[in-house]
Amino acid sequence: MPHHEFECSTTIPERKKHAVIKGAGEDLTSALPEGYLNTIPGSISERGCAYCGAKHVIGTPMKDVIHLSHGPVGCTYDTWQTKRYISDNENFQLKYTFATDMKEKNIVFGAEKMLKQNIIEAFKAFPQIKRMTLYQTCASALIGDDIGAVAQEVMEEMPEVDIFVCNSPGFKGPSQSGGHHTINIAWIKDKVGTVEPKITSDYVINYVGEYNIQGDEEIMHDYFKRMGIQVLSTFTGNGSYDDLRAMHGAHLNVLECARSAEYICNELRVRYGIPRLDIDGFGFEPLSDSLRKVGLFFGIEERAQKIIDEETARWKPELEWYKERLKGKKVCLWPGGSKLWHWAHVIHEEMGLDVVSVYTKFGHQQDMEKGIARCEEGTLAIDDPNELESVEAMLRLKPDVIFTGKRPGEVAKKIRVPYLNAHAYHNGPYKGYEGWVRFARDIYNAIYSPIHQLSLLDISKDEIPTDKGFATQMMFSDAALSEEAASASTQRQYTGKYDCVPDYMNKTYPDELKKKPVGAH
Amino acid sequence: MSCELKNKDRVGVINPIFTCQPAGAQFASIGIKDTIGLVHGGQGCVMFVRLLISQHFKESFEIASSSVHEDGAVFGALNRVEEGVDVLLMRYPDVKIIPIISTCSTEIIGDDIDGVVIKLNEGLLKEKYPDREVHLIPIHTPSFVGSMISGYDVAVKDFVSYFAKKDQPNRKINLFTGWVNPGDVTALKHLLAEMQIDATVLFEIESFDSPVMPDGNHVSHGNTTIEDLTGTANAFGSIVLNRYEGGKAAKFLEKKFDIPALIGPTPIGIRNTDTFLQNLKTMTGKPIPESLVRERGLAIDALTDLSHMFFADKRVAIYGNPDLVIGLAEFCLDLEMKPVLLLLGDDNPGYKEDPRIKALQEKVDYDMQIIMNADFWDLENRIKNEGLELDLILGHSKGRFISIDYDIPMLRVGFPTYDRAGMHRYPVVGYAGAIWLAEQMANTLFADMEHKKNKEWLLNVW
Amino acid sequence: MKDRIAQLEDYIMKHCLWQFHSRTWDRERQNEGVLGAATKILCDEPVANETREDRCYWVDAVCLAEAFENRYPWLHEMDTAEKKLLMQGLKERIDYTTITASLNKELTDHKY
Repeated sequence: MPHHEFECSTTIPERKKHAVIKGAGEDLTSALPEGYLNTIPGSISERGCAYCGAKHVIGTPMKDVIHLSHGPVGCTYDTWQTKRYISDNENFQLKYTFATDMKEKNIVFGAEKMLKQNIIEAFKAFPQIKRMTLYQTCASALIGDDIGAVAQEVMEEMPEVDIFVCNSPGFKGPSQSGGHHTINIAWIKDKVGTVEPKITSDYVINYVGEYNIQGDEEIMHDYFKRMGIQVLSTFTGNGSYDDLRAMHGAHLNVLECARSAEYICNELRVRYGIPRLDIDGFGFEPLSDSLRKVGLFFGIEERAQKIIDEETARWKPELEWYKERLKGKKVCLWPGGSKLWHWAHVIHEEMGLDVVSVYTKFGHQQDMEKGIARCEEGTLAIDDPNELESVEAMLRLKPDVIFTGKRPGEVAKKIRVPYLNAHAYHNGPYKGYEGWVRFARDIYNAIYSPIHQLSLLDISKDEIPTDKGFATQMMFSDAALSEEAASASTQRQYTGKYDCVPDYMNKTYPDELKKKPVGAH
Repeated sequence: MSCELKNKDRVGVINPIFTCQPAGAQFASIGIKDTIGLVHGGQGCVMFVRLLISQHFKESFEIASSSVHEDGAVFGALNRVEEGVDVLLMRYPDVKIIPIISTCSTEIIGDDIDGVVIKLNEGLLKEKYPDREVHLIPIHTPSFVGSMISGYDVAVKDFVSYFAKKDQPNRKINLFTGWVNPGDVTALKHLLAEMQIDATVLFEIESFDSPVMPDGNHVSHGNTTIEDLTGTANAFGSIVLNRYEGGKAAKFLEKKFDIPALIGPTPIGIRNTDTFLQNLKTMTGKPIPESLVRERGLAIDALTDLSHMFFADKRVAIYGNPDLVIGLAEFCLDLEMKPVLLLLGDDNPGYKEDPRIKALQEKVDYDMQIIMNADFWDLENRIKNEGLELDLILGHSKGRFISIDYDIPMLRVGFPTYDRAGMHRYPVVGYAGAIWLAEQMANTLFADMEHKKNKEWLLNVW
Repeated sequence: MKDRIAQLEDYIMKHCLWQFHSRTWDRERQNEGVLGAATKILCDEPVANETREDRCYWVDAVCLAEAFENRYPWLHEMDTAEKKLLMQGLKERIDYTTITASLNKELTDHKY
């Protein structure tokens, strides 16, 4: 096994099994790091907890819900306003968060009574909201409050409300991934099948593992709706609680982030016979393939093809402009989980970037299988990276840009590596054809930032170039291009709006597409 | 016409103003050089606090987790502390201080962090690191007690009481800044320098406004040293700017080492800065120099341009750290504004006895409410459902949607302020802070006048 | 043949996700379902696609077969028997990589 040992981690030798370099002729049977094991204490890992995986990642994107955490106030505060999952109901779920605010006396005497008061108070404050998700935390788990019983009691007293209970305390599992798992299973077990689906089309899917980061879901919904497909529910970005209770009514589960949501797709297949189709919403080719597959499934592949043709014609010239200028730039692709495989090959193929390293904070070996399968030879793959390893890797690999989280992004800034937010994006959405161009645009702006170039100059040692009063990105990006390439008339920079999402949200779609043509099977 | 002091009248929290105790202890720990805190709990207790602090400062720094997983929650997790300390010491050769910061989970399961420190001192440190200076400091910050404010206060006290050691007088003062920004530290150091006072600025986070350097210096650390902390027992006295963020430590020094403590006021605005300088003068015998008379004059000049013309009678709501809120309210009153609602985000019983709050209760000549244990719903509900009218909100970024949704201008002040650029670089304390605050408030109001077309022509001449 | 299988395997590894379901039994089912259908498509044989489950394998298989035909011109020169042998070899190889020789320790977890 081509393990990689970081100099900074020689004192914790078990780390060696968590990093591999995919060498020549190497494949998954010889190159795969360990994954999803308990974190080494004090290593300064990037991982979060199982509570955040359940509440913050998967629960809270649900839009028409009071999200109440049963515990001290910190868990709620800390996981509030650190994401960019928007919704079409004025972002209710982003704006409002609820904590039972457990205090010492509750720890000693139990907190079930105050939990009930809390639930009633919260519904009273927002009388238009009739749904609630209720999250256990470390504290409420350890004192043994029966949250489910309290929720049941309230539902009996207030028949108009429905409450979902998720018992995923922070310590449950090595990372946030434990919480993804728990909430998936709890939702299928407790909520799916409790509402009858309202079917409005002959083509019905659940769109699963999609969190509407900066409007990803809106852009993808546009394609589905143009095909006449009803998205019965989105799990969970911009998703509606009652729609998600009716997931059993779909014909197909279209799965995006398998890391966080494959569990529910697997269960939906076993329990309701709904097949699981894994797709990529990122990148022109993978997205086109994905739309085609969904179209084929329903026998409406020509509709998919029409969208593919239209969108490709509209956006490909813009993607090509950036590709021309991003070729050969080195990237550390250091996201949380699924983006390491969603992006690894397609930023290489469609943007010309060289992925020199992939990492996953909370992924499992399965994610590394996908990521390593998709990246080129020589890539350094790291599981559960810690801060010193990240720094060592950046200094060794000298990437031109790094895709990671906000906090590691600050580390990168100090060693003069531009960063893009892989979780929340810089200026997304990044899904869809237009989104993919926006991603390329953001990468380009990061790499060729004149300020970044200035950060590389040491005025005490280097010759200071005094011939320029300014620079533009293009002065750097086009310097090495042939004249032909630089002036290719078939290519152009991004021409969309600062916020492209409202135009997608405000579209209307003909109803007749929802019916199968006569004679179709 | 009265000032009412009361608790939030609901059990739960809708949109919290504060996070919990361990966050405060973590914030204190980043103020000390060669320190990496080890938070004993689930990973989220660190990961999110690091994210929060990095959103505020846009800087890189280190805090570690003992990463308690399910087995630890069931069988006890002290082995995670032992391993965590060893891993930190092995990989971070400069680290000298490791506070072991407890959380709700590890307090509930009853992990004895004091005991494990003794065990580590006798065992691991003696055996594996005999020649290394290492200090392990247990800090108890259960999340179900107090808030991030008391967590900071507790941690500051624990650090000071661990290190403080009687020796020859060092002819310095201890300055406990409280939970402030690098811009505040710079402003405070400037005042001290002008007064020619040698001070130990404690939990000093000035380097959290740090540069991108050609040689790639990548980590911010606090500037307070072990020597600084040890010497706190040998000072003229302690000045605590924020009663609730350092008061405990100063009282400890007073009791144990007879170091006189002056607690407050928070030097926000002219009047409180004057008092701060008077306190410095009293404690050290150093005169207030002409340069500060002039600086004060600059501030008075700036405020005169604004107060009766633009600020008078403007209705303000203020939330955040209690000393900040009270200081801002006092300053607003001097500026002829009407702070009508103050929100203190925890249930500290000390508020009822706070002389500044008592003074407000006695002297305020219009209707004011001070809500303890408050959340953002205490503000929003009053606006949305009870007809509260406001001209300005002062507070941190977590309240941003109230400003946005109800179209009330808001100046970001306090912690965290991630939705405005560079706020941590500017002071709110001292005369410089008075100028900055007043002019930012004015510009915020001006932008709102233009945005709402509300007498926007007023500024044609000024 | 080995080299050709390697080319096809490389395409699947880079572009597909169906072979990476989380458990052994799913990977067996997926590999059989998709590659079985793809083999029939490449050999112009009818493929069952009436049930939802079959249809889901079939759509991945259609796209896979098309990609193979577009990318690997040598495929057109093979007769049905050769194609079957090739695809049989490919299936064995994918089973080997994703199941029997996989280093993924979660494959045998008995629950999702």
